[in-house]
Amino acid sequence: MSTQRFGWRRAGAIAIAGVALTTLVACSGGGSAPADQGSATEGNITWWGWTPDKTNADKLIAAFNEEYPDITVEFVSKPIDTYDSVIGPAITSTDGPDVFNVAPGSANGGVDTFQAGAVDLRPAVEEALGSDWESKLATSGVDGLTVDDKVVGLSAGAVYSGSVWINQDIFDANGLTAPTNLDEWIAVCDALQAAGQGCFVQGAGQWAFDMDTFEAIMENVEPGAYVKASKGEMDYSDPAFVTGMEIWKKLFDEGIMQEGAIGLQQYPDANNAFMSGKYAMVMMGTWYTQYAVKDIMIASMEAAGVSNPVPFTMIPIQFPDVADTGNVGNMFGDADYGLAVSAKSEQQAAATTFALWLATAEGGQQAVANTLNNIPSLKGVQPQWDNIDLVNADAQLDALKELTDVAGASTQPRFASVSADLNSAFRDALIGVASGDVQITDALENLQAVVDAQ
Amino acid sequence: MTANIVRTPRRPGKRIGLGAGMPWILPALILVFGMIYFSIGFTGYVSTLDWNGFILSPSENVGGDNYVAMFQDPIFWTALWHTAVFFVVTFTIQTAIGFSFAALLHSKIHLAPLYKVIIFIPTVLAPATMAPVFRSIFDADGQFNWLLDHVGLGALARPWLAEGATAMPVVMAVTVWQWTGLTFILFYAAMSQIDPQILEAARVDGASNFRMLRSIIWPLCSGTTLALATLGVIGALKTFDVPYLITKAGPNHATEFLGTYIYQTMVQEKHFGYAAAISVALLVIAIGGGVLMRVRLHKKEV
Repeated sequence: MSTQRFGWRRAGAIAIAGVALTTLVACSGGGSAPADQGSATEGNITWWGWTPDKTNADKLIAAFNEEYPDITVEFVSKPIDTYDSVIGPAITSTDGPDVFNVAPGSANGGVDTFQAGAVDLRPAVEEALGSDWESKLATSGVDGLTVDDKVVGLSAGAVYSGSVWINQDIFDANGLTAPTNLDEWIAVCDALQAAGQGCFVQGAGQWAFDMDTFEAIMENVEPGAYVKASKGEMDYSDPAFVTGMEIWKKLFDEGIMQEGAIGLQQYPDANNAFMSGKYAMVMMGTWYTQYAVKDIMIASMEAAGVSNPVPFTMIPIQFPDVADTGNVGNMFGDADYGLAVSAKSEQQAAATTFALWLATAEGGQQAVANTLNNIPSLKGVQPQWDNIDLVNADAQLDALKELTDVAGASTQPRFASVSADLNSAFRDALIGVASGDVQITDALENLQAVVDAQ
Repeated sequence: MTANIVRTPRRPGKRIGLGAGMPWILPALILVFGMIYFSIGFTGYVSTLDWNGFILSPSENVGGDNYVAMFQDPIFWTALWHTAVFFVVTFTIQTAIGFSFAALLHSKIHLAPLYKVIIFIPTVLAPATMAPVFRSIFDADGQFNWLLDHVGLGALARPWLAEGATAMPVVMAVTVWQWTGLTFILFYAAMSQIDPQILEAARVDGASNFRMLRSIIWPLCSGTTLALATLGVIGALKTFDVPYLITKAGPNHATEFLGTYIYQTMVQEKHFGYAAAISVALLVIAIGGGVLMRVRLHKKEV
């Protein structure tokens, strides 16, 4: 073997090892936070998130700049499906976002996963709201975004589910009233379908919304059981869950769910079907309130493919008393998104100012409330309804106020108590039972097995 | 052996070895090892971890547990079975249609260039742009059911994407629609290489069109067929976009493939180690399939 060849081999090996090590070091990210946190009242910060949409983000930033004109905030919208893929590498770099969205539980942007890349906001929020700060904020926004006493994110607002939205114009045109129990629901759907009108639409292929419907059923069957079981405090073999699953199956068998529901997604399919007037009812939560506003509804209808849209009167109703227990009106929710400050940010002070303002200051929370996308985190803040141009205020206002009040008082989590594995198990259980491919007892056993393994 | 072997002495500086070429290939070598083989090695390493994938999160070494779990996971085997069936069906149909179109367009037919463009266009369309169209077509209220109703086959109408038995055929149909253009082009090119004299001689001997196709053109295109089969195996193993965009791998895993399952376990469930184990399995199967096809091709050439 020639010396020259050996040399090149050795050089090649060293080069490859060097590349490998460099890549490893680059990937390892870690390291201490920047020593200089910058100014708290000026700077240029970037905010990454899957929500709010650009229109609402611009409104929030504009309101922020009225109080803090020297902090420029750029919102970068990232698709929710790929959020985890992009945020991980981004927050290990000083070139990444200064503020980023986090979410409770098993949702994308989960705090458990990304808490290591965020600073603890507890000292900042204590300074802003006092030592009793937790009592001033919605429970869903505090518990779900705290990991081992570390306040990873501050909730800008929460979304709650458990309600059904109806197109009141379709109901009126067909001489119908909103159903209050399962029999009425079946009758309403029969009547609408006989008139050539779609009744209830659900994109049951997108199982997060199936979980909403199932949790609403369980809140009707036995309030609190759904959350208890997901925490391991109750067994899925309990008869309450058998009843819940039987009702879930009935929604498909009795013609409430549209044909082919499990082949559709809630977004965009079911949303577009409701917004275009093909269906009269849809299972959506408080985030749907924004579409009661005239210009937002028109934009949404256009996005659903409606040409020359005429806005309609949509109203939230309680989930029907499907189990005949009288337990109705319960809602459940989580922080829609929390604002976390990146540990790698070189402008942590300005980033913290923005996060605190949006999540805890009255001005920020009022701006959040007025978007109607979220229920504010700060207690006592309500949307300024007089300044909001609803499609049909006479018909909508009372129902919207009631929805906001009930949701704001709710302490039941939506996804915060559901692990990623349990989330997948719910997909298999709910879609499997709906299609008839999985027996109810098997579905519930599988759910219990996942909880037992955690 | 006693025969004298006379070696031609190499002139200094003219040796064709690793040393002389190394400076030239070193940048590419570093790139290939740094970007590809390091990544493969890193995936292999991650497959031994229990890790959520975030670089700052702690990980735990679990040895071969992820592989044990994978072999015991019925969804993994379901995905593998779907991949095999998917390959056989799509490859067979694409080959039959692509070969037929190529043969037809080699005959003197009117507007042949236009037909070539029409057949090839689906290949250049991104699945993401076409997925909503196919979701609409195969919806319960979609155009396909409308068509069935209007040709007297309304009894066959169904929610195609919502039933396990029909969702996979839809995914296969979309794939065939998209990739038959490529099969056609490659067969068309292969047929262009056939010596016209061979075909002329067959014609003189009285061979019919079908006989020429079966006994001359098809065998002479076998290299292309095997190359397409190799691409088909790898493509089937990498299948992700069509089932993910059209059926979300459902319902009830009816259109689950290794790619969609890796995405689910990695991105949605945050089991990076487990997803890496499936990725390693996918790599092994892909290399195995590729080698098998290569050996088959080599035997044919010999």
